[in-house]
Amino acid sequence: MEFPPRLSDLPLIAARHTGAIRRGLCRWSRAASPPPALGDRRWPAELILSTWLQAETGAPAASAPTTGASAGGFDRLAFRELPASEWLPEVRPIDLAIPLNRRAWDPPIEIPVPWYGAGMSFGSVSERVMLARAMAARRCGTFTCTGEGGYPDSLVPYREHVITQIATGMFGVREETIQRARIVEFKYAQGAKPGLGGHLLGDKATMAVAKMREAVPWVSLFSPFPFHSVYSVEDHRKHVDWVKAINPEALVAVKVSTPTDVDMVAVGSYHAGAHILQIDGAYGGTGAAPEVAKKDIAMPVEYAIPKVHRYLTAEGVRDELTVLASGGIRTADDVAKAVALGADGAALGTAELIAMGCTRCANCERGRGCTYGITTTDPELSLFIDPEWAAERVGNLYAAFAARLRDILRHLGLPSVRALRGRTDLLEYRPGPRGAAA
Amino acid sequence: MSYHRYHISCEACPDVARHPNRFRVRVIRWRLARMLLHELFHYRFNLPVVTSRPCVYGTFSGPIGGFAPRPSQCVGCLRCTIEYPDMVRVRPNPERRGLGDSYFTPDKVDTVVQEAATGQIPVRGAGYRGAFGGEAWDGMWTDMSEIVRPTRDGIHGREFISTAVDLGERPGVLTFDGAGVPSVPLPHSFSLPIPMLFDAPPLSVEDPILCRVLAEAAGRLQTLAILPLPRLLALGIRSPAVAPLVRPEEIEATVQLREAPPMLELDGWDDGAYRALKTRFPVTPVYVRLPLEHDPLPVARSGVRLFHVTADYHGRAAGVFVGEAVRSSHAALVKAGIREEAVLLGSGGIIAAADVAKAIVCGLDAVALDTAALVALQGRLEGECLDRGTARVALPRFEEAWGVQRLCNLAGVWRDQLLEILGAMGLREVRRLRGEHGRAMFQADLEREAFAGIAGFEG
Repeated sequence: MEFPPRLSDLPLIAARHTGAIRRGLCRWSRAASPPPALGDRRWPAELILSTWLQAETGAPAASAPTTGASAGGFDRLAFRELPASEWLPEVRPIDLAIPLNRRAWDPPIEIPVPWYGAGMSFGSVSERVMLARAMAARRCGTFTCTGEGGYPDSLVPYREHVITQIATGMFGVREETIQRARIVEFKYAQGAKPGLGGHLLGDKATMAVAKMREAVPWVSLFSPFPFHSVYSVEDHRKHVDWVKAINPEALVAVKVSTPTDVDMVAVGSYHAGAHILQIDGAYGGTGAAPEVAKKDIAMPVEYAIPKVHRYLTAEGVRDELTVLASGGIRTADDVAKAVALGADGAALGTAELIAMGCTRCANCERGRGCTYGITTTDPELSLFIDPEWAAERVGNLYAAFAARLRDILRHLGLPSVRALRGRTDLLEYRPGPRGAAA
Repeated sequence: MSYHRYHISCEACPDVARHPNRFRVRVIRWRLARMLLHELFHYRFNLPVVTSRPCVYGTFSGPIGGFAPRPSQCVGCLRCTIEYPDMVRVRPNPERRGLGDSYFTPDKVDTVVQEAATGQIPVRGAGYRGAFGGEAWDGMWTDMSEIVRPTRDGIHGREFISTAVDLGERPGVLTFDGAGVPSVPLPHSFSLPIPMLFDAPPLSVEDPILCRVLAEAAGRLQTLAILPLPRLLALGIRSPAVAPLVRPEEIEATVQLREAPPMLELDGWDDGAYRALKTRFPVTPVYVRLPLEHDPLPVARSGVRLFHVTADYHGRAAGVFVGEAVRSSHAALVKAGIREEAVLLGSGGIIAAADVAKAIVCGLDAVALDTAALVALQGRLEGECLDRGTARVALPRFEEAWGVQRLCNLAGVWRDQLLEILGAMGLREVRRLRGEHGRAMFQADLEREAFAGIAGFEG
């Protein structure tokens, strides 16, 4: 029997379920066995539960899994740790900071951890989630990115830590959103749907989302691919010039996917004047994408990182460009492996959502699909995410990642994360049949 | 003659047989009753609050709510079990293990059934969830371009991509006499608007309705269905969209074909039978159906240029996966200098939309769909389905119109996904994809390049 709620009931209903969800996350993250239907090969149940635990405690879980069960990529790599007698002492500080601007000009920006939040648009996630990510970024001194759905006013107080993204649909891009950002990101492509542009299905294009994007509500919004104004590296340079004309102090980040010539794309981005290159591998997250694009188009980031690193090195420009890996970075170990393969750091997306309680049920494309209120634009469901609570969870996850990363570096005898870059000699490959369980 | 843009009309065509739910939902009723009683007092009989459910999909929205959950509605978000760990358990439905076989896995079956039912590309949130790579098509990725597009017209330029393929004869040169008249017979060429045909079904399901559905669907799609000659004759199927599959011993029976078919296929290599077919049907392109492990060059030396190469239903040909075997065949024809004259139609192991593109990248001109078409019709694979002779598939009872629409939906959705892949590459026609190995990335190559030098890697 249905009892339709009155408007006045909504806060009470939200409070009832919010409390139950939080208690459940806490309980399951300590349970002896996970929910039977939780997890997949990229994110097995144990990995999701350990992420919840880290988000709650802020410390790395002692027996946490460090890999998934995908039987490839990061899940086949491990570190060749030194004997315990050669580990760096606990008292010795380990430096996790990386510079985001490696050029001799433009403002120097350094972040204290080698990652920032990847672009997630208003529409793909709720404004409350965006706000939580911005709050967490400020607390940790790093950045988060708006994605291509515009820049909600609620993020303005955090502008020092918010990257404005310009993508092909130009949704919500305005002079003031470029002027207020310290970093402006051009999204050329996204790993989960490379070459296909953006997808926001009509269900999620609510009045608020449509207003922010200057579009029609309840109509699916497909941003084109690629930038219709870019045919070459020179055209990309023109884009960079355009941003610099509006905001001369801004650093420019470029987010690209992983085609076979990703190395050429990287060097092209460098020559176009980019400061940061984010290579977004095929197994990255998304609010909505054709299933065929998630698996079958473009290579996983594990293969792209060394390719880019070596090519930039051979071209003599590696130390002038910050390379961030994204698209499948789930743990601190993945961050470290990405760095060892040649990246400077990483951009995190799905891991932050898992910290907020995501179970990876993959229903994010629907307006009321996310029953946890994370990847929804529904005003009722989004009440389940309290920005303060979620920011605390994301901040805790960052702290746990940082602690684990320091441990890894200490066990490798390295004083800083910068010293790990490109050190494939510190990795080992654990072979097994392709596609079989690790 | 007016311009006609090829279009496949897809429409919702719900399942006729029950497809197993992904999940089972179990509620401990006495705990639910106890909680409701407690909350009635806690929330002072505010029923909308007390009965608000931890599910927006309707799993607990039946007449008696959570006391009789509806697992068909469950999408696996697990909020119910997260909120109420002691009261609700959601489990993967063990019934799904019976779907498909070891190659056509339950997830692949789900996808094909969904595509055939909805006529829409599966679009979902979150990222990829499966194995990193694999030995089969999973160990191959198609390329994309950051900048190049098929055209800058339209949103993605996809509307202008051609999926047409030429499958008829295409001699390397034409010769003319002094008067400018061709001095050799003109080639008998034909094109299909999609690089997909329907292959002859397994012997266990060659029932009349299936054959008629394949023929009718092929007609609506303007493609071809390859059907065994005896069945065609027995059922009296006369369709311009049917290519008879003829065994060498059935050559004489071809006299019963009243019209020249658009294409003929000889089942296995037999020089005499091939010449007889060519003589009897001088204007019909004649394909030779060969197992993929069979070297096509000796047959090509007999003048054959049209091949239908087959792997088993798991994509294996003498222990080699179809992708690799096709690359070898393609390379052999290139080396012999006759690839541009030859056509490679292929089947076996193609069970997803991306497989079509990958097979074409490896070197096929077009593919013939086998088990995928049967699964689209909700056929249940019984045991391991390996080849036409031994595979057992149980089809549900269905109307012909339903079957035709399901196959049209499948073809339409697969074509749309092919357009996505071509669009991502910046290619404007599928013909340019054939044998373009540089448009693909193979796991073994990528690993060797990325991980060479890492301890323990022996790739």
